[in-house]
Amino acid sequence: MWHLLRDWALMNHSIMAWLLGLGSLVLLAILIVHLLFALLLIVPTWRICARAGFSGALSLFHLVPVIGSFIVMAILAFSTWPAGEATPRGL
Amino acid sequence: MGFDVAALMGLLGIGGAFTLVAMILAAWMAWRIVEKAGLPGWAGLGAVLLTLTGVGTVVPLILLWVFAFMRWPRDAVAVARAAASGAASAAPMALTPPPAAPRGWRLAGGGVTLVIDGPLNTWLLTGAPAEKPGELSVPDPSVGRPHARLLVAGERLGLEDLGTPGGTFIDGARLLPEHGPRDISAAGVIRVGTVELTLSKARAAE
Repeated sequence: MWHLLRDWALMNHSIMAWLLGLGSLVLLAILIVHLLFALLLIVPTWRICARAGFSGALSLFHLVPVIGSFIVMAILAFSTWPAGEATPRGL
Repeated sequence: MGFDVAALMGLLGIGGAFTLVAMILAAWMAWRIVEKAGLPGWAGLGAVLLTLTGVGTVVPLILLWVFAFMRWPRDAVAVARAAASGAASAAPMALTPPPAAPRGWRLAGGGVTLVIDGPLNTWLLTGAPAEKPGELSVPDPSVGRPHARLLVAGERLGLEDLGTPGGTFIDGARLLPEHGPRDISAAGVIRVGTVELTLSKARAAE
Protein backbone atom coordinates (compact mmCIF):
# COMPACT_ATOMS: atom_id res chain seq x y z
CA MET A 1 0.00 0.00 0.00
CA TRP A 2 2.76 2.40 0.96
CA HIS A 3 4.59 1.61 -2.29
CA LEU A 4 1.50 2.43 -4.31
CA LEU A 5 1.05 5.76 -2.53
CA ARG A 6 4.72 6.65 -3.05
CA ASP A 7 4.58 5.77 -6.78
CA TRP A 8 1.41 7.84 -7.20
CA ALA A 9 3.02 10.82 -5.47
CA LEU A 10 6.15 10.52 -7.58
CA MET A 11 4.12 10.32 -10.79
CA ASN A 12 2.00 13.27 -9.73
CA HIS A 13 5.10 15.26 -8.95
CA SER A 14 6.67 14.57 -12.34
CA ILE A 15 3.44 15.51 -14.16
CA MET A 16 3.29 18.78 -12.20
CA ALA A 17 6.92 19.55 -13.01
CA TRP A 18 6.30 18.78 -16.68
CA LEU A 19 3.23 21.04 -16.78
CA LEU A 20 5.10 23.85 -15.04
CA GLY A 21 7.94 23.54 -17.52
CA LEU A 22 5.53 23.57 -20.45
CA GLY A 23 3.73 26.60 -19.01
CA SER A 24 7.01 28.50 -18.62
CA LEU A 25 7.93 27.66 -22.18
CA VAL A 26 4.57 28.87 -23.49
CA LEU A 27 4.88 32.09 -21.46
CA LEU A 28 8.39 32.66 -22.81
CA ALA A 29 7.18 32.10 -26.36
CA ILE A 30 4.30 34.56 -25.83
CA LEU A 31 6.74 37.12 -24.40
CA ILE A 32 9.13 36.80 -27.33
CA VAL A 33 6.33 37.09 -29.90
CA HIS A 34 4.96 40.13 -28.03
CA LEU A 35 8.39 41.80 -28.00
CA LEU A 36 8.95 41.09 -31.69
CA PHE A 37 5.54 42.45 -32.64
CA ALA A 38 6.05 45.49 -30.37
CA LEU A 39 9.39 46.12 -32.08
CA LEU A 40 7.66 46.15 -35.46
CA LEU A 41 5.42 48.92 -34.11
CA ILE A 42 8.06 50.77 -32.08
CA VAL A 43 10.47 51.48 -34.97
CA PRO A 44 8.01 53.39 -37.23
CA THR A 45 6.24 54.99 -34.28
CA TRP A 46 9.58 56.23 -32.92
CA ARG A 47 10.14 58.06 -36.21
CA ILE A 48 6.59 59.42 -36.33
CA CYS A 49 6.93 60.76 -32.77
CA ALA A 50 10.29 62.36 -33.58
CA ARG A 51 8.92 63.98 -36.74
CA ALA A 52 5.95 65.28 -34.77
CA GLY A 53 8.37 66.85 -32.30
CA PHE A 54 7.84 64.43 -29.40
CA SER A 55 10.43 62.19 -27.83
CA GLY A 56 10.79 58.94 -29.74
CA ALA A 57 10.71 57.12 -26.41
CA LEU A 58 6.93 57.65 -26.40
CA SER A 59 6.75 54.75 -28.81
CA LEU A 60 7.90 52.41 -26.02
CA PHE A 61 4.27 52.49 -24.84
CA HIS A 62 3.80 49.76 -27.45
CA LEU A 63 5.43 47.44 -24.92
CA VAL A 64 2.36 47.82 -22.71
CA PRO A 65 0.00 45.02 -23.72
CA VAL A 66 -3.46 45.84 -25.14
CA ILE A 67 -3.67 49.58 -24.32
CA GLY A 68 -0.12 50.71 -25.16
CA SER A 69 -0.84 51.41 -28.82
CA PHE A 70 -3.94 53.38 -27.91
CA ILE A 71 -1.93 55.59 -25.53
CA VAL A 72 0.61 56.46 -28.25
CA MET A 73 -2.13 57.08 -30.80
CA ALA A 74 -4.08 59.27 -28.38
CA ILE A 75 -1.01 61.41 -27.63
CA LEU A 76 -0.30 61.86 -31.34
CA ALA A 77 -3.94 62.47 -32.23
CA PHE A 78 -5.10 64.83 -29.49
CA SER A 79 -2.06 66.96 -28.63
CA THR A 80 -0.50 69.80 -30.57
CA TRP A 81 2.61 68.64 -32.41
CA PRO A 82 5.62 70.66 -31.24
CA ALA A 83 7.21 70.38 -34.70
CA GLY A 84 4.14 71.82 -36.36
CA GLU A 85 1.08 70.44 -38.08
CA ALA A 86 -0.01 70.60 -41.69
CA THR A 87 -2.39 73.48 -41.11
CA PRO A 88 -2.29 76.16 -40.01
CA ARG A 89 0.97 76.06 -38.06
CA GLY A 90 3.37 74.91 -40.78
CA LEU A 91 5.48 77.68 -42.27
CA MET B 1 -27.64 54.88 -25.06
CA GLY B 2 -27.54 52.34 -22.26
CA PHE B 3 -30.00 50.22 -24.15
CA ASP B 4 -27.86 50.44 -27.28
CA VAL B 5 -24.72 49.34 -25.46
CA ALA B 6 -26.59 46.49 -23.82
CA ALA B 7 -28.01 45.42 -27.18
CA LEU B 8 -24.59 45.64 -28.77
CA MET B 9 -23.02 43.55 -26.04
CA GLY B 10 -25.80 41.01 -26.37
CA LEU B 11 -25.25 40.87 -30.09
CA LEU B 12 -21.46 40.70 -30.12
CA GLY B 13 -20.58 39.60 -26.63
CA ILE B 14 -18.62 41.87 -24.28
CA GLY B 15 -15.35 41.12 -26.07
CA GLY B 16 -16.83 41.92 -29.46
CA ALA B 17 -18.32 45.20 -28.24
CA PHE B 18 -15.01 46.28 -26.73
CA THR B 19 -13.25 45.39 -29.99
CA LEU B 20 -15.74 47.48 -31.94
CA VAL B 21 -15.29 50.48 -29.64
CA ALA B 22 -11.49 50.10 -29.82
CA MET B 23 -11.64 49.92 -33.60
CA ILE B 24 -13.76 53.08 -33.85
CA LEU B 25 -11.42 54.91 -31.44
CA ALA B 26 -8.34 53.78 -33.37
CA ALA B 27 -9.88 54.83 -36.69
CA TRP B 28 -10.77 58.26 -35.30
CA MET B 29 -7.27 58.78 -33.89
CA ALA B 30 -5.62 57.58 -37.10
CA TRP B 31 -7.78 60.07 -39.03
CA ARG B 32 -6.52 62.91 -36.83
CA ILE B 33 -2.86 61.82 -36.96
CA VAL B 34 -2.63 61.62 -40.76
CA GLU B 35 -4.46 64.94 -41.08
CA LYS B 36 -1.80 66.57 -38.90
CA ALA B 37 0.82 65.20 -41.29
CA GLY B 38 -1.05 66.77 -44.20
CA LEU B 39 -2.62 63.62 -45.64
CA PRO B 40 -6.36 63.10 -46.11
CA GLY B 41 -7.96 61.78 -42.93
CA TRP B 42 -9.75 58.95 -44.68
CA ALA B 43 -6.35 57.37 -45.46
CA GLY B 44 -5.73 56.80 -41.76
CA LEU B 45 -9.26 55.65 -41.14
CA GLY B 46 -9.04 53.23 -44.06
CA ALA B 47 -5.74 51.82 -42.84
CA VAL B 48 -7.27 50.92 -39.49
CA LEU B 49 -10.49 49.58 -40.99
CA LEU B 50 -8.39 47.26 -43.19
CA THR B 51 -7.88 45.13 -40.08
CA LEU B 52 -11.57 44.17 -40.38
CA THR B 53 -10.97 42.67 -43.80
CA GLY B 54 -9.20 39.55 -44.86
CA VAL B 55 -5.81 41.23 -45.02
CA GLY B 56 -5.67 41.21 -41.23
CA THR B 57 -2.99 43.25 -39.53
CA VAL B 58 -0.19 42.85 -42.04
CA VAL B 59 -1.28 45.56 -44.48
CA PRO B 60 -1.99 48.19 -41.77
CA LEU B 61 1.45 47.39 -40.34
CA ILE B 62 3.06 47.98 -43.75
CA LEU B 63 1.08 51.21 -44.10
CA LEU B 64 2.35 52.33 -40.68
CA TRP B 65 5.95 51.86 -41.88
CA VAL B 66 5.19 53.69 -45.13
CA PHE B 67 3.58 56.56 -43.21
CA ALA B 68 6.59 56.82 -40.89
CA PHE B 69 9.17 57.05 -43.65
CA MET B 70 7.30 58.81 -46.47
CA ARG B 71 7.54 62.54 -47.14
CA TRP B 72 4.62 64.21 -45.42
CA PRO B 73 2.79 67.02 -47.26
CA ARG B 74 3.33 69.10 -44.11
CA ASP B 75 7.10 69.00 -44.72
CA ALA B 76 6.80 69.40 -48.49
CA VAL B 77 4.91 72.68 -48.07
CA ALA B 78 7.53 73.95 -45.62
CA VAL B 79 10.41 72.98 -47.92
CA ALA B 80 8.74 74.58 -50.96
CA ARG B 81 8.28 77.80 -49.05
CA ALA B 82 11.86 77.69 -47.81
CA ALA B 83 13.08 77.10 -51.37
CA ALA B 84 11.08 80.11 -52.54
CA SER B 85 12.68 82.22 -49.81
CA GLY B 86 16.12 80.86 -50.69
CA ALA B 87 15.64 81.62 -54.38
CA ALA B 88 14.75 85.18 -53.53
CA SER B 89 17.87 85.57 -51.39
CA ALA B 90 20.08 84.14 -54.13
CA ALA B 91 19.00 86.80 -56.60
CA PRO B 92 21.66 89.36 -57.66
CA MET B 93 21.92 92.28 -55.29
CA ALA B 94 21.05 94.78 -58.03
CA LEU B 95 17.70 93.05 -58.47
CA THR B 96 16.96 92.73 -54.79
CA PRO B 97 13.72 94.52 -54.03
CA PRO B 98 13.96 97.38 -51.59
CA PRO B 99 13.21 96.48 -47.99
CA ALA B 100 9.58 96.68 -47.15
CA ALA B 101 8.09 97.99 -43.98
CA PRO B 102 9.97 97.05 -40.78
CA ARG B 103 9.62 93.33 -40.29
CA GLY B 104 12.64 92.62 -38.12
CA TRP B 105 13.09 90.15 -35.33
CA ARG B 106 15.41 90.16 -32.38
CA LEU B 107 17.13 87.23 -30.69
CA ALA B 108 18.74 88.07 -27.37
CA GLY B 109 20.53 85.92 -24.84
CA GLY B 110 23.88 84.35 -23.99
CA GLY B 111 25.55 87.75 -24.13
CA VAL B 112 24.52 88.50 -27.72
CA THR B 113 21.73 90.41 -29.37
CA LEU B 114 20.99 89.47 -32.96
CA VAL B 115 18.77 91.60 -35.17
CA ILE B 116 17.18 89.95 -38.19
CA ASP B 117 16.25 92.78 -40.47
CA GLY B 118 16.98 93.89 -44.01
CA PRO B 119 16.40 92.62 -47.51
CA LEU B 120 17.74 89.11 -46.87
CA ASN B 121 15.27 86.28 -46.51
CA THR B 122 17.75 83.69 -45.28
CA TRP B 123 20.04 84.01 -42.26
CA LEU B 124 22.54 81.60 -40.80
CA LEU B 125 23.10 81.10 -37.08
CA THR B 126 26.71 80.15 -36.56
CA GLY B 127 29.16 79.72 -33.71
CA ALA B 128 31.90 81.29 -35.85
CA PRO B 129 32.43 85.04 -36.20
CA ALA B 130 30.04 86.55 -38.76
CA GLU B 131 31.93 87.10 -42.01
CA LYS B 132 29.28 87.36 -44.69
CA PRO B 133 26.01 89.24 -44.87
CA GLY B 134 23.25 87.15 -43.40
CA GLU B 135 25.43 85.41 -40.83
CA LEU B 136 24.50 85.79 -37.19
CA SER B 137 27.23 84.86 -34.75
CA VAL B 138 26.54 83.17 -31.42
CA PRO B 139 30.06 82.65 -30.10
CA ASP B 140 29.71 79.49 -28.08
CA PRO B 141 31.42 76.09 -28.47
CA SER B 142 28.07 74.29 -28.37
CA VAL B 143 26.84 76.21 -31.43
CA GLY B 144 27.58 74.63 -34.81
CA ARG B 145 29.33 76.37 -37.69
CA PRO B 146 26.73 76.82 -39.15
CA HIS B 147 24.06 75.68 -36.73
CA ALA B 148 20.62 76.65 -38.03
CA ARG B 149 18.94 78.62 -40.78
CA LEU B 150 16.46 81.42 -40.16
CA LEU B 151 13.95 82.14 -42.91
CA VAL B 152 11.96 85.35 -43.19
CA ALA B 153 8.67 84.99 -45.04
CA GLY B 154 6.60 88.16 -44.87
CA GLU B 155 5.69 88.72 -41.27
CA ARG B 156 6.74 85.24 -40.27
CA LEU B 157 10.03 83.79 -39.16
CA GLY B 158 11.08 80.19 -39.78
CA LEU B 159 13.85 78.12 -38.25
CA GLU B 160 15.56 75.07 -39.71
CA ASP B 161 18.10 72.92 -37.88
CA LEU B 162 21.17 72.01 -39.90
CA GLY B 163 21.96 68.82 -38.02
CA THR B 164 24.58 69.91 -35.51
CA PRO B 165 25.21 67.82 -32.38
CA GLY B 166 24.28 70.66 -30.00
CA GLY B 167 20.68 70.56 -31.20
CA THR B 168 18.07 73.23 -31.75
CA PHE B 169 14.99 73.65 -29.55
CA ILE B 170 11.83 75.70 -29.96
CA ASP B 171 10.30 76.42 -26.57
CA GLY B 172 11.93 73.26 -25.26
CA ALA B 173 10.86 71.00 -28.14
CA ARG B 174 13.68 69.51 -30.21
CA LEU B 175 13.83 70.57 -33.84
CA LEU B 176 15.41 67.95 -36.07
CA PRO B 177 16.78 68.47 -39.59
CA GLU B 178 14.09 66.23 -41.06
CA HIS B 179 11.40 68.53 -39.65
CA GLY B 180 12.45 71.16 -42.20
CA PRO B 181 11.71 74.83 -41.53
CA ARG B 182 9.25 75.51 -38.72
CA ASP B 183 7.29 78.66 -38.06
CA ILE B 184 8.69 80.26 -34.88
CA SER B 185 6.83 83.57 -35.15
CA ALA B 186 4.85 82.71 -32.02
CA ALA B 187 7.75 81.06 -30.16
CA GLY B 188 9.31 82.55 -27.06
CA VAL B 189 12.69 80.92 -26.52
CA ILE B 190 15.00 79.34 -29.08
CA ARG B 191 17.90 77.23 -27.83
CA VAL B 192 20.91 76.59 -30.03
CA GLY B 193 23.37 74.28 -28.33
CA THR B 194 23.36 75.50 -24.74
CA VAL B 195 22.58 79.13 -25.59
CA GLU B 196 19.02 80.30 -24.97
CA LEU B 197 17.85 83.15 -27.16
CA THR B 198 14.66 85.05 -26.45
CA LEU B 199 12.75 85.88 -29.61
CA SER B 200 10.94 89.17 -29.96
CA LYS B 201 9.71 91.39 -32.73
CA ALA B 202 12.13 94.27 -33.35
CA ARG B 203 10.58 97.70 -33.37
CA ALA B 204 11.08 100.14 -36.26
CA ALA B 205 13.34 102.37 -34.14
CA GLU B 206 15.71 99.51 -33.29
